[in-house]
Amino acid sequence: MTQSFLQIKGLTKNFGGLRAVNDVTFSMERNQVLGLIGPNGAGKTTLLRLITGILKPDAGHVCFMGKEIVGRKTWDIVNMGIACTFQNMRPFRRLPIIANVMVSCLSPRAMKRGEWVKRLEAKAMDALEFAGISDMAREKASTLSQGDLKRLEVARAVATEPELLLLDEPFGGLSPAETDLMAKSIRRLHKGGRFGRLHSEGPAMIIVEHKLQWLMKIVDRIIVLNFGNMIADGTPDEIVKDPRVIEAYLGKGDT
Amino acid sequence: MALILFYLRKLFSVIKNEVLVLPSRVVVVLFFLFLLLVPLFTKDTYLLRIFTLTSIFAILAASWDLLSGFTGQMNFGHALFFGVGAYSAALLNKYGGIPPWGTVPLGGLGAVLAGLIIGIPCLRLRGTYLALTTLAFPIILMGLVFAFPNITGGELGISGIARLAGSRVADYYIAVVVMLGLCTIMWKITDSKTGIIFHAIREDELAVRTSGINTTRYKLLAFSLSGFFAGISGGIYAHFMRIAGPSTLEVSMSFQVVIWAIFGGIVTIYGPVGAVFVLFPLMEFLRFWQEYRILMFAAVVLLILLYMPDGLFRWLRDKIEKECPRCKIRNIATRDTCRICTASLD
Ligand SMILES: Nc1ncnc2c1ncn2[C@@H]1O[C@H](COP(=O)(O)OP(=O)(O)OP(=O)(O)O)[C@@H](O)[C@H]1O
Ligand SMILES: [Mg+2]
Repeated sequence: MTQSFLQIKGLTKNFGGLRAVNDVTFSMERNQVLGLIGPNGAGKTTLLRLITGILKPDAGHVCFMGKEIVGRKTWDIVNMGIACTFQNMRPFRRLPIIANVMVSCLSPRAMKRGEWVKRLEAKAMDALEFAGISDMAREKASTLSQGDLKRLEVARAVATEPELLLLDEPFGGLSPAETDLMAKSIRRLHKGGRFGRLHSEGPAMIIVEHKLQWLMKIVDRIIVLNFGNMIADGTPDEIVKDPRVIEAYLGKGDT
Repeated sequence: MALILFYLRKLFSVIKNEVLVLPSRVVVVLFFLFLLLVPLFTKDTYLLRIFTLTSIFAILAASWDLLSGFTGQMNFGHALFFGVGAYSAALLNKYGGIPPWGTVPLGGLGAVLAGLIIGIPCLRLRGTYLALTTLAFPIILMGLVFAFPNITGGELGISGIARLAGSRVADYYIAVVVMLGLCTIMWKITDSKTGIIFHAIREDELAVRTSGINTTRYKLLAFSLSGFFAGISGGIYAHFMRIAGPSTLEVSMSFQVVIWAIFGGIVTIYGPVGAVFVLFPLMEFLRFWQEYRILMFAAVVLLILLYMPDGLFRWLRDKIEKECPRCKIRNIATRDTCRICTASLD
């Protein structure tokens, strides 16, 4: 049996009496871009947090490149090659933007390529360049707009040079023009290659997003969650036609 | 000869281009020079004693800033490190016969151990819980001190230990040079890659973890480093006073440190150091009004904190220097354009 790139089996998480993620099972390949959608409170963020080890699951397994990662520390998981962004951005507010990214550049994974201080800053700069906020590198993160904070999140994640990137609502709160830019960056990142000193492995991605029309253009597969259950899994075309998905989004009786 | 001239010219150009451009740097250089030259002008033992103690406590305040200011791990029991440093040095000297130059660094290492012992249970705690837990540790140690009076001397402490050095002037120089050296090291640490991670842990620990950084390791590093520097100051204190007593572990000592640091401005290193140099001598001179001493002290601290919430020395620095809005380089406040990028400063 060949090992999948990422394999999730029976993943379950309860918050008190609430089952936020219920027995989710799927696997994805190295070259895929996966969309994860579902109504508010469906458990999408929780699922991503289970993968990155921020939350511990009550049951289930996550295998990344053939290794079980449930129970590992978040930083170990990140250093194995899974990076993530936060839905409600979490920058280091009182630090300059460049320092925000330098923290990621200081992770063992990013340091593997033998960087020293000057190059470190240059590399952080390249990550900012990639995300399109390099002209504000010396500003404090607290001065950034909503859209720029989203880009900072992406720059920070990209700086660890991940194999798998988990994006939680990368378009949330962005204007149409900004969304367009972000979508372009994401596609460029997935192609891989070098952006200055920054190396992109062309990571696989899981993207949580409510703006479906944008998401459809980027992803080649979509998984739908509702009340923690996985209710559909298929190509974007299949998903929009799936009656269970329409029901979940519009409610019973409207179809 | 030519070589000497070369280095003189280099020194001159460094002073001109790096020091004289910023008033805060001039102040720091003058501060170093002043402290190093004081004994040439006065041999007054009372004055030298005050400056020696001030230097010792300056190390302590700066080490608190390293842990609680930079890394955000609110430590309300910093006296623990000071006390462990003092008692370790005293015990090693009295029962081990080790001279001060050995006991002081070993006392620092003892405090590192204390830092790890309290750091590990404190890893999961944050904010108020962390503050209250750390507050308890020096009290626990004080309990141990009273429980084993035949080793620790109980209430009286361990007295009769070796003098730091032969004379008041030598004591002074040891304390001042160690203080200047350690504070420079602390400032360098906060300016390094490790410093960036300390800053980031204070801002958002979870986000540091998802950046692939082992936060446990860095928090313990902060506890150990802070403990080491505080322990050294405790060791020097013990040898200077020739006694290590329970007063080094008192709650008021822990609070004193916090007051100094906040008064001068946290997350700066230079703030707490400057604050000790203002407040400690002030407290001594206020002895003339013995009955109002604490009241006056409290009034000064309150006034400063009311009008300068970021601390006295931050406030002063912002008065004499401006940050360039474009390149973020600091400039003397009298300039209209940035000295590097020539952008307008208003
Ligand atoms: N830390 C927590 N403690 C308790 N309940 C939580 C916690 N985090 C999430 N929940 C609950 O779990 C459910 C799933 O939350 P989650 O954030 O995963 O939803 P989501 O799909 O990301 O929604 P959204 O689209 O609004 O971001 C929600 O009902 C939420 O209230
Ligand atoms: Mg969410």
